Amino acid sequence: MGLGVLTLTTDKTTAATDAETADVALAQSGDGRAFERLYRGQVSRIHSLVRRMLDSDEADDVTQDVFVRAWEKLYTFRGESAFGTWLHRLAVNVVLGRRKALGTERGRRSADDSPLETVAARNQVPEHTVDFEEALGRLPDGSRQVFLLHDVEGYRHEEIAKLLGIVAGTSKSQLHHARMALRKHLDR
Amino acid sequence: MSDRWTDRLSEYLDGELGERERAELAAHLNACVECAATLSGLRRVVTRAQALEDRPPSTDLWPGIAGRIGLATDEFTVRRRTRERRFSFTVPQLIAASIVLVAASAGTAWLALRGPRSDTAVRPTQVAPAPQLATWMPKVEKSSDIAVFELRSALADGKRTGRLDSLTVASLEHSLAVIDSAIAQATRALESDPGSAYLNHHLADTYRRKFDFLRQANRIASART
Repeated sequence: MGLGVLTLTTDKTTAATDAETADVALAQSGDGRAFERLYRGQVSRIHSLVRRMLDSDEADDVTQDVFVRAWEKLYTFRGESAFGTWLHRLAVNVVLGRRKALGTERGRRSADDSPLETVAARNQVPEHTVDFEEALGRLPDGSRQVFLLHDVEGYRHEEIAKLLGIVAGTSKSQLHHARMALRKHLDR
Repeated sequence: MSDRWTDRLSEYLDGELGERERAELAAHLNACVECAATLSGLRRVVTRAQALEDRPPSTDLWPGIAGRIGLATDEFTVRRRTRERRFSFTVPQLIAASIVLVAASAGTAWLALRGPRSDTAVRPTQVAPAPQLATWMPKVEKSSDIAVFELRSALADGKRTGRLDSLTVASLEHSLAVIDSAIAQATRALESDPGSAYLNHHLADTYRRKFDFLRQANRIASART
């Protein structure tokens, strides 16, 4: 490295966070490049959320839907929360809407934890190498959604109940079933 | 393995039981090895869930998004994206870049204050009404102040230890002052025309560039002190 030369990479400084705030204001006024910067800052988180909540082969399409929807709804963002939080909520709504539209309750998973047996049997490898995300993806739909929203994304049961149209008690019960199934998976 | 407490272990783990039930279950855990082991397993699941890492999509989804919302992904955008991944700057380059930014910002603010404006130039598509300054300005101003304070501290340290020369420090300070002057001009213009999409856009853009400048300057100042 020569005199005064420094290689700069992205970091999470306060200034960077608020560069995002400025980018939101720019994108709200129609600046596509600012919106692209926002996309690049958030796409990993959003894509991961979508991939876990839906089938992997739908993740790219739905992630695109999320950002298109965000562009359309950006004028409603008032800065009361972080942009990432707002976008994340929007993504959850898009995912749940997609599930509803597709009628995702396709009976591909039953309420027991036998799908996790399938994972272990198929992999035939020591438990520590079995992919946790794959096991998660084989949970019954209801408990998987609740588990993801609660334990991965940090939603409260009351919020989950509202999002999924269930009661908080059902959310707690589904969460427990998901954890118990995954516990057995980790214990193998 | 199941007893009357098994189904309550998640609620216990999440701190959602009432005081009496919590105490009863805590007492039960002292006596029931199986429930204690189950609780430990549940805790491991939660820890594992919270440690899941986000991964980007395997292909770049931006071109598809840009197409759907009517934005062109022209050659310039592609080239700019490639460049943005890594930057190398020398101090003189940084100073030169900041001067260009400053000149552009000040000039645009001057035009905004005195000349005719066109909102269409900054709106590729009509998606939203002009953002209200009050919604983002206070937060951005506050963190801008913090970043400036950090930079000035780093510059002072560099100057004191002799690792940054006076000319470099003075140039960066000057650049910062001119950027702030441009922001002040744009803010004044916006106060007299708060509904202007152009001025909102210009001010937000100047702030974003200021943050870029501060981040780079802080890196350089910190690395050299």
